[in-house]
Amino acid sequence: MADISVGLNCPTCGGAISIPEGDNVVPCQYCGSTLFIEGDQGVSTIAFNLKMQRDNAMGATQQWWRRGWKARDLPKMGKVTETYPIFLPFWKANTKVAGWICGYEERRHTDSKGNVRVERIPKEVMILQDYAYSEIACDPGDLGIRSLKNLTGETGFADFDMIPTFEATTSKDDAIVHAKNDAEARATASARVPNVTFKRLHVFPKSLTMIYYPVWVVRYSYHDRMYMSTVDAVTGQVLSGRAPGDPLFQSMAMTGGAVAGGLVAAGTIIASGAEYMNDGRLALVGVGIGIVILFLAYRFFRHGSERIEGDFKEKKTMKQALQQVQGVAKQLEGLR
Amino acid sequence: MKVIQVKCPQCNSPIQSKVRDHLFYCTQCNTMHTRNGGIEKLDYEIGEFNQSAQGERLYMPFWRVYATLVVHSKDVEGGSLFKLTQWIKGASNTGNMFIYIPATELDNAGFRALSGRFTSNPPKYSTRLNFGNVNRLPATISKQEAANLADFVVVTMEAEQPGVLQRLNYTLTVNDTKLVFLPFVKGPQGMMPAL
Repeated sequence: MADISVGLNCPTCGGAISIPEGDNVVPCQYCGSTLFIEGDQGVSTIAFNLKMQRDNAMGATQQWWRRGWKARDLPKMGKVTETYPIFLPFWKANTKVAGWICGYEERRHTDSKGNVRVERIPKEVMILQDYAYSEIACDPGDLGIRSLKNLTGETGFADFDMIPTFEATTSKDDAIVHAKNDAEARATASARVPNVTFKRLHVFPKSLTMIYYPVWVVRYSYHDRMYMSTVDAVTGQVLSGRAPGDPLFQSMAMTGGAVAGGLVAAGTIIASGAEYMNDGRLALVGVGIGIVILFLAYRFFRHGSERIEGDFKEKKTMKQALQQVQGVAKQLEGLR
Repeated sequence: MKVIQVKCPQCNSPIQSKVRDHLFYCTQCNTMHTRNGGIEKLDYEIGEFNQSAQGERLYMPFWRVYATLVVHSKDVEGGSLFKLTQWIKGASNTGNMFIYIPATELDNAGFRALSGRFTSNPPKYSTRLNFGNVNRLPATISKQEAANLADFVVVTMEAEQPGVLQRLNYTLTVNDTKLVFLPFVKGPQGMMPAL
């Protein structure tokens, strides 16, 4: 469960009290009244307090310029042109999963004569677990933020007359469906039953909260081109951003990758020639590894002109890139 | 969104409490109500303590779910089949049963132990009209959740028998759900029923 509590005042005695996020009942410790939080359509709305000031956000971005494979002269040539705070809406759901997953696991045993015996191990796993889920409740555009990373900090019930916010555009029903699907998927994965014969899971949405989270947007220029970054206004961490790459790093990666990939491929082909029993498999593996190195080097070269960090839609993850490599490897296997 | 003081829907008295309880009990008129998706007055039973019970007395809330269970087929590997019909009153594969769901926050082991114990061996007790200054444990599980947890308890009781459950094809229909407060005493070994 998230470590968020919300500050409020007792309507009866005015005493300051706090309530855990997601709960809607709290006793007043001063006058003993039982208090109930009535949310809009059952949804509570809270906002994290903006803790980082403008200078902190600019400082965090300037530190971020020095990290990674960004242009070496970025700290010198980069100029912050605009810095402003924005509150992003997120759905935060707490769910409980109760149920059972039954099935079996198959283990293969090979004896000294090469006979394979399959052992079937029946399994039954009980699930009784709480899960937390969050997703952004608006179109984040080009901000590169899609889920809540931080769940600790001071919060209060939201009053948005004076602060700029992104308007929530997704429905609470969709958020609940996503939270339930996420909880069921995580519960199923945690059971570790490879072959499922019986599954009965009940997912209870315990609470749904709309959380407004403050973010600093920092826009800056570098050689007349505009870039941006976002800074968590609670923790001070850079959440996402775009920055110029460095042509030197790009050419070094391409050259180094080509050399390394070629050496690995050539080395294994030569070694394969000396080994008569391997049927050329060693050479094929070596060529495959060489292609992977070359591909990763090309990928760095291709996308190295701009360094992107955060949850941007068009950005390919390393996992996706490796899946692309696996696709190429399968094609090679087919050719063989 | 607003914060309100909870008042009794029957007599309008403010509800006083020292714990975070989702069941609101009015000490003036003995009305119990909840506010999950609207105000709902609840019918409830309070069990009488066994007079010989020693230790700190308290009441634990349970949802007693009256349900009809129909077992179509089942498959257990590596052990004897547990007969669900042991809890079912009447026919072998079809019958009515009371399923007890602890409504308070318990750890997983405590939840399984109490729900299994009272469902397989329903408690017998005489009732009383009020709590008589005995503390109640706060409720965190709603009536709607209890209906789903009843299904979970049925499968749990089957799975906890010898052998490994592989399939269970059944239908559980909830007919009624009632709130009952069962007497417990807190001793050196934890909470024990005091029926």
